[in-house]
Amino acid sequence: MDGSSLTPTSPGTDRRTFHKIASVVFGSILGLVLTIPGAAFVLSPVLKRSGSSGDSGADDGFRPIAKLSDLEEGIPRVFPILGKSTDAWVRYPEEPIGSVWVIRKGKEVTAYSAECPHLGCAVGLGPDGNSFYCPCHTSSFGFDGQAKNKIPPRGMDSLEVKLAASPSGDDPEILVKFLRFRTAVPEKTPLV
Amino acid sequence: MFKRLSDWLDDRTGYRHLLEEALDEPVKGGARWRYVFGSAVTTAFMIQLVTGVLLMTSYSPSSSTAWGSVYFISYEMVGGWFVRGLHHFGAQAMVVLLFLHLLQVLIAGAYRSPREVNWWLGMVLLFITLAFSLTGYLLPWDQKGYWATKVATNIMGITPVVGPYVQKVVVGGNEYGNQTLTRFYGIHVGVLPGLLVLTLAAHIAVFRRHGVTAPEKATGSDPFWPKQVFMDTVASLAVLGVVAFFAIAERGAPLDAPAEPSSSDYPARPEWYFLSLFQMLKRPEFAGENEIIGAIIVPGAIVTALFAFPLLDKIFPRKLGHFLACSLVFALVGVAGLLTMQAWKEDAANADFQVTRAKADVARKRALFLAGHPEAGVPPEGSRYVLLNDPLYAGSSVLERKCLSCHYYDGKGVLERGHDGKMVMTKQIAADLKGFGTRPWLEGLLANPSDAKYFGSTPQLSGMAQWKKTTKLKPDELKTVTDFVAEFAKVGDEETIDDWLSRNEISEHPGLELFKKDCGRCHTVDAEGILGEGGEVEAPNLFGWGSPRWVRRMIRHPNAADRYGYLEEKDQMPGFGQTELSDREMSVLIRLFSGQYVPDDPATAAAGH
Ligand code: FES
Repeated sequence: MDGSSLTPTSPGTDRRTFHKIASVVFGSILGLVLTIPGAAFVLSPVLKRSGSSGDSGADDGFRPIAKLSDLEEGIPRVFPILGKSTDAWVRYPEEPIGSVWVIRKGKEVTAYSAECPHLGCAVGLGPDGNSFYCPCHTSSFGFDGQAKNKIPPRGMDSLEVKLAASPSGDDPEILVKFLRFRTAVPEKTPLV
Repeated sequence: MFKRLSDWLDDRTGYRHLLEEALDEPVKGGARWRYVFGSAVTTAFMIQLVTGVLLMTSYSPSSSTAWGSVYFISYEMVGGWFVRGLHHFGAQAMVVLLFLHLLQVLIAGAYRSPREVNWWLGMVLLFITLAFSLTGYLLPWDQKGYWATKVATNIMGITPVVGPYVQKVVVGGNEYGNQTLTRFYGIHVGVLPGLLVLTLAAHIAVFRRHGVTAPEKATGSDPFWPKQVFMDTVASLAVLGVVAFFAIAERGAPLDAPAEPSSSDYPARPEWYFLSLFQMLKRPEFAGENEIIGAIIVPGAIVTALFAFPLLDKIFPRKLGHFLACSLVFALVGVAGLLTMQAWKEDAANADFQVTRAKADVARKRALFLAGHPEAGVPPEGSRYVLLNDPLYAGSSVLERKCLSCHYYDGKGVLERGHDGKMVMTKQIAADLKGFGTRPWLEGLLANPSDAKYFGSTPQLSGMAQWKKTTKLKPDELKTVTDFVAEFAKVGDEETIDDWLSRNEISEHPGLELFKKDCGRCHTVDAEGILGEGGEVEAPNLFGWGSPRWVRRMIRHPNAADRYGYLEEKDQMPGFGQTELSDREMSVLIRLFSGQYVPDDPATAAAGH
């Protein structure tokens, strides 16, 4: 510091040093007071635990989507998932929040999220009718959910299915637990 | 007088000096057309700034209002389509011009020492511009922006370690919605313009410090004003002309259907200048496990290389470094061009893309038509409900999913893919629902109950056919009865039988007695038997037939005692509870049957034939 060349006892030096240090300190306080809450504000989605995802319908997360009789053996059908959802400050009543593909083999029902594991587009039925196909980057999947080409990082994301006896008896209801998963990674990681 | 005023002003502000500084700046080697690109980009940015601020005064960033406000700007406001068109094509002009500017700088070697910092500032400007484009694409909150943004932000999430967090911060959570829009909006209209203006100011200041990079043989010099200013102005005018031309030729900017997160096959495509990157993701080398290569590493390497250009001279002889830099960029342009062509060609040849795009266009046209229709419009719940509340669009989709595996609508079931992969029409085993509950449907039923359209295709429902054979009603009496039954459709939700019967038009209706004598033999309506005792053949209760409450009960409880509970179980219609059919879906279905909806746009209907 240039002040140090003067005699250490000089009152002018002390004042200069004080001015320098104080300016830096005050300036930093100013900056921090704006930066810290500002950063927290921007980072709020990762700092806040349950974010805005909010979709919580039935307590266990299973939602009815169709009846077993709606499905023909081996022919997949797509159903919208109805659920309450929160979009930041708006709370929506039951609305379609996503789609699932369901396919039946005998009494066994498998459900796949229609969200493409590649980059999140919606997976439809392939032109050949014997596969699932994503219109974005041509990911293709078999009816068993396995990837059929090398575009997607993993197969389609299967969802938990439950069959619930219906009041009338033999046509059970299909319940599906709808979740979203991280895209573009080989492992199926639920988003929380 | 003016002189004194300007003298005074100059004394207080020193503006003349500033002006001279700006205008008399010497252009070494003389003014040239090739120096206009920087100004052209700035002009494009000015167009964006002006139109952008105008759009801000009418745009409303939330998932429920964004689409509607953009619709309003584009289709209702005076000149709105033009302002938005200028902004849309101005954005593309900015990208193109920036790129041309970059090429010019590259070819002239103007990125080299001592102008390294300005090259880097230019790079930053390029990324700010691309960020403008990415964030702006989402703002209309239409299908196109929604799905493209989903893909783009998922790509962001691939970045190792920080990716998922960055994605969550940018999206404002895991779901795309209000927070995504407000964030993108804030970035688009606040952060990026601020950054761009600062960087541009620095860019121009540094440029002034070093001046233009004149060709080696060039001699002499011109002041900036007026020759170079003239050239720059001509170029700027040309930019505006081209942008305005596209805005007018395309009648503004496109607007797709409102974002619908539950769509099951929207074919997302990015803006055309991102198509080469998009096409790369479709190649197996850059997909699957190698996703990170195509999405992060390759673009990252390109960016790093561009940034490193000024340093090439430190390693290679000057000429060679320049040659390498130019070759790299031209090779990139070539590859990008090829990939873009390929993306276009593949889409043009892809039948599935055409089908999904055509489906998306149907939604788009219907949404735009409804939004502008005096009897529809954008509902207060949000733009998404333009289509979700539309009997014709949403009702038809509910119908296809829930009803047409047994019923027909307008003579058709649904095409379903059989086991052999061929499309087959479902078999009709229940009535045709087109116009169900309306007077024409009723007339048809009473004229020929065993027609496939009515009960001909439904097992066990032979009661009406028997009636047809045995009825003694004369044609004019039949018409009177029809009139009477048609009154049922007007029964209100809260109305009791007594309320209804005490209405004059009912109690004095000439058809009442006929109904009692003929229909009342089988159908009961009221407990006291005022409208007949019923019971000859089992039949549903007709009170309110065709009204929303009757149809609702028919769908929710088809096998109740007052409906078709008497049928054998195997022939019963399954009931649809709240979980299978929401109230909104029910409402659109009922309005679809009774024809209470805005009809098809005559323009698109005609084009479809
Ligand atoms: S998002 Fe489905 S293929 Fe890319």
